[in-house]
Amino acid sequence: MIAASEKLDHVSEDGIRRLVDAFYVKVRVDLELAPIFARAIPRDWQPHLTKMYAFWSSVMLTTGRYKGNPVAKHLNIPDIKLELFERWLALFDATCRELFDDATSAAFRIKAERIAESLKLALFYRPDRPWPPEPTP
Amino acid sequence: MTFVVTDNCIKCKYMDCVEVCPVDCFYEGENMLVIHPDECIDCGVCEPECPADAISADTEPGLESWVKLNAEYASVWPNITIKREQPADAKTFDGAVNKLKQYFSPNPGQGD
Repeated sequence: MIAASEKLDHVSEDGIRRLVDAFYVKVRVDLELAPIFARAIPRDWQPHLTKMYAFWSSVMLTTGRYKGNPVAKHLNIPDIKLELFERWLALFDATCRELFDDATSAAFRIKAERIAESLKLALFYRPDRPWPPEPTP
Repeated sequence: MTFVVTDNCIKCKYMDCVEVCPVDCFYEGENMLVIHPDECIDCGVCEPECPADAISADTEPGLESWVKLNAEYASVWPNITIKREQPADAKTFDGAVNKLKQYFSPNPGQGD
């Protein structure tokens, strides 16, 4: 645990790398998320981590380093469930708070929540059903 | 939810947005760009980059017709991910009103 006074007060490439690395350590032992990710990334995690450094760099530092289609990627994940997004967001926010001060953590959280909402809509929204849908049993 | 390109892009087309978009969801018409609603992840990175202030969240009121226009042309115009020179007269049209009626072209742009 990093003392409050030592927390990062701005977003940098180095901070993003530390965040991504620490976050996926949590994901890989999480009861809900680990099986989904283990199926998508059975062996070497570094290419995924490197991609995520670029993604968050693009989103938080507007570097344009990431180029990809996350909607299509998520559409192809078997067993993906709406509730998993909440779990993902909770772990991500917890990791942000461990590394960054309140304002910087909030900046990450706002972006992450928006992106999650848009992915959820892309994956689960159906015009003939209410939104948000009832939790799946 | 998605972001949409609106009136002031027409005949300005600065293209700063395409460089920062992480998901390459801009499509190019002859004199404006649009965002593909099924590819945009709502990250909002493009919004402050636009010198013409032409990009807005689709949750803002009064943008229904622009949401429709973006969706319609994103499926027919070519993808653009690399910024080129803006039109020579871009500044002249920046801030002009009601450009859709006067200047909008449904023709595709050149894309990447």
